Amino acid sequence: MILVIAEQRDGKLNRATWETIVGAQQLAKVSGAPITVLVPGAKAAGVAAELAAAQTNEVVTVEHAALEPYTPDGFTATLQAVIAQLSPAYVFLPHTYQTRDFAPKLAARLDRAIVTDVTAVKAVAGETAFVRPMFQGKLTADIVPQGPAPHFITFQIGAYRIDQVVKGPAAAPLRALDVTVDASTIRQKPEAPFQQARQAVDLSQAERIVSVGRGIKEQSNIALAQQLAEALGAEIAASRPICDAGWLPMERQVGSSGQTVAPKLYLALGISGAIQHLVGMKGASTVVAINKDPDAPIFEIADFGIVGDLFEIVPAMIAALKA
Amino acid sequence: MAVVAFWLLFVAFVGAFAAQVARRVQLIAGAPNTFSTDNLRLRANRFLVDVVFQARTIRERPMAGIAHALVFWGFVAFGAYTLTEFLRGLGIVDLTHSGWFNVYRVMLAPFAVAVLGGILYLLIRRALVRPVALGTKVSLESIVIALFIATLMTTYLLTFQLAEGTMAERVNWWVHMLVILAFMALIPASKHFHLVVSPMTVFLKSPELGNLPNLDFEKEQVGLETVKDLGSKSVLDAFTCVECGRCQVNCPAWGAGKELNPKTIILQTQEALLAGTRDRKLGEMYSDKVLWQCTTCGACENQCPVGIEHLPILIGSRRGLVSNGDAPDYLGAMYNNLERRSNIWGLGYDQRAKFVQSAGLETFDPATHDVLVWLGCAGSFDADFQKSLRSLFAILRAKDVRCGVLAKERCTGDPAKRTGNEYMFQELANGNIEDLKASGVKKILTSCPHCVKTIGNDYRKFGYDVEIEHSSVFVEALLRKNSAALSATGSAAFSGPRETVTFHDPCYLGRYAGKVDEPRNLLTRFGADIVEPERNRDNPYCCGAGGGLLFADKEEEPGSRISDVRFKQLQATGATTVVTACPFCSIMLKGAQASAQADTQFVDLMTYVKDRL
Repeated sequence: MILVIAEQRDGKLNRATWETIVGAQQLAKVSGAPITVLVPGAKAAGVAAELAAAQTNEVVTVEHAALEPYTPDGFTATLQAVIAQLSPAYVFLPHTYQTRDFAPKLAARLDRAIVTDVTAVKAVAGETAFVRPMFQGKLTADIVPQGPAPHFITFQIGAYRIDQVVKGPAAAPLRALDVTVDASTIRQKPEAPFQQARQAVDLSQAERIVSVGRGIKEQSNIALAQQLAEALGAEIAASRPICDAGWLPMERQVGSSGQTVAPKLYLALGISGAIQHLVGMKGASTVVAINKDPDAPIFEIADFGIVGDLFEIVPAMIAALKA
Repeated sequence: MAVVAFWLLFVAFVGAFAAQVARRVQLIAGAPNTFSTDNLRLRANRFLVDVVFQARTIRERPMAGIAHALVFWGFVAFGAYTLTEFLRGLGIVDLTHSGWFNVYRVMLAPFAVAVLGGILYLLIRRALVRPVALGTKVSLESIVIALFIATLMTTYLLTFQLAEGTMAERVNWWVHMLVILAFMALIPASKHFHLVVSPMTVFLKSPELGNLPNLDFEKEQVGLETVKDLGSKSVLDAFTCVECGRCQVNCPAWGAGKELNPKTIILQTQEALLAGTRDRKLGEMYSDKVLWQCTTCGACENQCPVGIEHLPILIGSRRGLVSNGDAPDYLGAMYNNLERRSNIWGLGYDQRAKFVQSAGLETFDPATHDVLVWLGCAGSFDADFQKSLRSLFAILRAKDVRCGVLAKERCTGDPAKRTGNEYMFQELANGNIEDLKASGVKKILTSCPHCVKTIGNDYRKFGYDVEIEHSSVFVEALLRKNSAALSATGSAAFSGPRETVTFHDPCYLGRYAGKVDEPRNLLTRFGADIVEPERNRDNPYCCGAGGGLLFADKEEEPGSRISDVRFKQLQATGATTVVTACPFCSIMLKGAQASAQADTQFVDLMTYVKDRL
């Protein structure tokens, strides 16, 4: 059985969990192993219901006082108890900061193999191997974990695309799991999580971004871009001149001296595409550029390019989105 | 009686002088030896130009410089006079009645007048005009020294008026000699110590601007961490500083209102050395904030009239910080890019391959190609700068120059070297040197002045010797040959309309490589009337990109952006076209232009030439 450990906080799912489910489904397709998704922590029910859409054998929740707030000791102890009950062959986790915090400890506690930052699963000479980068990505290694089960596997964020998740014909059955954990083994007392003030706007997590450049011409025109952003449900961002001029706050600057973003959609309005801007958005999945200069470097990297006047195109887009 | 008194005074004052000098010599001798005397010819030449003819002193401040030269030459001229008077005063030998001395004494008169004029000018300048470079408060000691010098000259001139043996003549002689003795005792602890050491410092200054010998990791060298790590040349530098502030007023960071002041760096070094705080952390002493404000433009070092090298201290301290993991966040991101992708942008090399293919470039083969074109990080990835390279390739093709490129390039390591990440620099450099050696290249051509410096100077320190030229130099020579054949006058066949442009000298081309005429010749030959900006040729004002600052956040930069200051200087020429010759200057200045909402046109030198070929 493949046990996927979901990650959530306050009932909000970390989307990397979906990617890990893809990894599990790909292995299950070959080995035929059943998949169990475990949602640990308070308010797990909503997340479990959401994850039940994927084709798995069951989704189990475990809500225990030892899990809230998050501590590596609490998670290790709880998951140790869960693993003892379910005895999986593999434990799959998204390679998040939280996973990095407790998974090595959990594997060490159980004296089991762990393969981290995995990008793919494949068969090597009849055995299941996990592919991971080595030496800063210069090499990749196929690793076959040895020793008794379970083997711990953490998947690199972005190893799989979320839209590769196979949905089930019906929702997977839900089950709540009871475990006994000695809460006195928890040695950490964490403070409430907080966000560093400097980056009040975290564009790196935005799924859609409307970004404006000098082609916007006047400060008053920023409103037009803002309307488009609202219609798209996107964050607004800008290139350096706009933030230098104070038309948008510094924290919305994208580029080598601003934030680095990786949205699904990056809509560049009147951005020429200077290299120091491009490096801040190179992770975007789809880049749409509107610029009146057909030679603008932004078109070199755009998936879709519109050569024209953004003051004609943007209102038309807003109208179409609202229709 | 008088002889005994003079001996006592002589021993006391010269003893004071010697004790102070000994302390400084001890500090220099105790420091890790960084003296070198390679390239004697260049050193001798520089000694002649900068010490004997005072060129660097005069160049930037002609009036004050000439006044200083008059005082300097006067001092030299008076050397034998002073010696003769001392020999007499000490009762060793009296040569003052010999024929040659009297001829010599008379010949000194015009020198004395010149010194008086010079010192009076300098005194007024320091006490009343008070230029910013000399500091905010008037140095009392400098005023005293100036008055001493004036007294020496006056007492000398009075000897022609006073009959020998008279009371007045004796008093005059004693005043003269006592002033010299007091002067000597004052010298070592003051900026006037440069009288004694600056000729040596100038001679010992590296022939290469911004000379940064490789760290030897086998010997566990990690750069400069504390005061005791400063090399002997840096210690000598600290005692040589004359506090003229040329480094300060030419520093682009200081000019843009940042905390960095190269003069302060040197004076802080001096203070720490004398205080004996050998374990003081340099990152704290200079402030790590200040250390990261240097663009490594080299203006301080290049303008210094007494041979001080600022960059080994600034970058050496950065090395110490980086070795301890204390680099700013934006550099951490850039180092990651260099480590993972071997380029500053962190982009994949498929993009370079795409450009190489679309530009129709072949992999270099010494059998078929004349030169190897080094693309660099900008040429490999920056679509904007690639336009300039396409222009270069068009020019080369038009003139039947066959060129190729390496199949694979890494960043030369310039941003790593200049920000003190020596380990990363050496990794990149060794990889590139291996590939360059394997390619069999004899001559490299590049449009990036930083690559010229790094491959041309820094790679040489690994024993790899290759000729590398900036495209402006290569193309200028290429088209010169060609146009000479075309027209009898040797001037260009260009007959289009002339255009007023201004040219921004890249620091690494104009100042480091000294190539200032080649780009101008090209521009003029192809129809440009150049209006020079303030700060040009071999002393340009930096665009703000060097030393890793291309990646700095605005919030991490107090004062104005250096690029904004430079852009205003270029705008002030009135020219609406700015010609650039470095990808990083182009990025910075275009950024400044966009922020200023100005209509200035930027064109790279190669594109300018190609469009008019």
